[in-house]
Amino acid sequence: MHIADGILSAPVIAAGFGGTVVIAAVTMRKMDLEEIPKISVMSAVFFVANLIHIPVGPTSIHFILNGLVGVILGPRAFAAIMLGVILQAFLFGFGGVTVIGVNCVMLGGGALIAYFIWQLRHRFPVSDKLEVFFGAVAGAVGVAFSGVILALALFTSGDEFWATAGYALAAHVPALIIEAIVVGACVTFLKKARPDMLAGHVQKIYKTGG
Amino acid sequence: MAFDIDRFSHIESSVQRWDPRIKILSLVFFIFVVALLKTIPVAVASLFIALIIIKITNIPFHFVANSIKVIVVFLAPFFLMLPFSYPGEPAFRIIGLPFAWEGFRLSVLIFTKAVAIVLTTNAIFGSARFDISMIALQNLRCPKVLVQMILFTYRYIFVFIDEIKRMEKAMRSKGFVMKANMNTLRTMGNFVGALLIRSFERTSRVYSAMLSKGYEGELHSMVSFKARGKDYVKAGLVVVVTVAVLAVDLLSVFTPAIKGWY
Repeated sequence: MHIADGILSAPVIAAGFGGTVVIAAVTMRKMDLEEIPKISVMSAVFFVANLIHIPVGPTSIHFILNGLVGVILGPRAFAAIMLGVILQAFLFGFGGVTVIGVNCVMLGGGALIAYFIWQLRHRFPVSDKLEVFFGAVAGAVGVAFSGVILALALFTSGDEFWATAGYALAAHVPALIIEAIVVGACVTFLKKARPDMLAGHVQKIYKTGG
Repeated sequence: MAFDIDRFSHIESSVQRWDPRIKILSLVFFIFVVALLKTIPVAVASLFIALIIIKITNIPFHFVANSIKVIVVFLAPFFLMLPFSYPGEPAFRIIGLPFAWEGFRLSVLIFTKAVAIVLTTNAIFGSARFDISMIALQNLRCPKVLVQMILFTYRYIFVFIDEIKRMEKAMRSKGFVMKANMNTLRTMGNFVGALLIRSFERTSRVYSAMLSKGYEGELHSMVSFKARGKDYVKAGLVVVVTVAVLAVDLLSVFTPAIKGWY
């Protein structure tokens, strides 16, 4: 989830921007012109996914899908999330202009961790069930990481926010479960329809006779 | 929800006429100062300043009210949590919950600042066409790649929202109802997957078309900016007001929100 303007202290805001610049510089190195449209599509998906609400009891939870962005774009996911966060702040005050840095580290960092988890599947024998499992775990970990960073940002901003930090962390648990199921299902679908879209996809080479 | 934030950029006003580069720089300075305010009276004053700026732009208030709604939903947890979880001696108890005025004041401060900032953001990006704002950012040494991608994404957002509406209609007509169960979630996963594939294929077609028309990763524009004296006067005004706000806040004419009302 995002954090809004006017809550965090100056050092936390500065650390957010610093972290974003460093991570963006590292993950966007040697970017090809051809990658631009693909990254933009994913950041638009991230933007729109944040608007889809699913009813849960009396309230509703919106998708975050930063894990899915990581699973599809790999290291470039950070750029996609960053764009999404910037546009959300510009267009309708979702988050805020001064906390763009913190939100980027929070959500983009989650996407990078999700990619890392997703890549771990190569260490195990190939099976479809396993890939779905890793997709689901990647989706969950992306959200969980964001929750932890959010709680940390609140925690370091002052002791009056400690209880809110705890609440924020707890609120991520249902979101995490939903994300795991949705990302798992989405990976299953993409695996069947367009496996080349997933990050780290190794094309199977079939030998033909002759 | 409306995302065409530049819907009212055609209205004549002195904010709309302002050189976008200088407008972005000076108002962003204001935003950052507001985000760091610590006293309620100064925060309220900055909210009034933001309201005045919006008033000058002539953007209808019902348009701006949309973003305020988002902020209210966003900050609701803080309003519910802070007064009841503030460390220290509570003023009184409501149904056994300790209520602390300090926490309540803090949430009022946060809310006031957030609304002021959102209003100012609306004034910045609502008063010029979005592509012109982006070209202004490029002129302000924002990385070109970033500006390119923001423009692409901005375009896709509208395409996607239309696409989602179409796909939703198709799903509804096949009897799909959104519920909190496994089936809904799995269907949503497939929905996102289908949306992704359709979008990727559309994008690669658009991209090939752009390449064949000579796209080389740069935005060439007919727009050129020229700052006049008036633009600098407006910027000077904003900077003076901002510094004054910051000074009153820092000089502790008023006590910070975590200590007392004034």
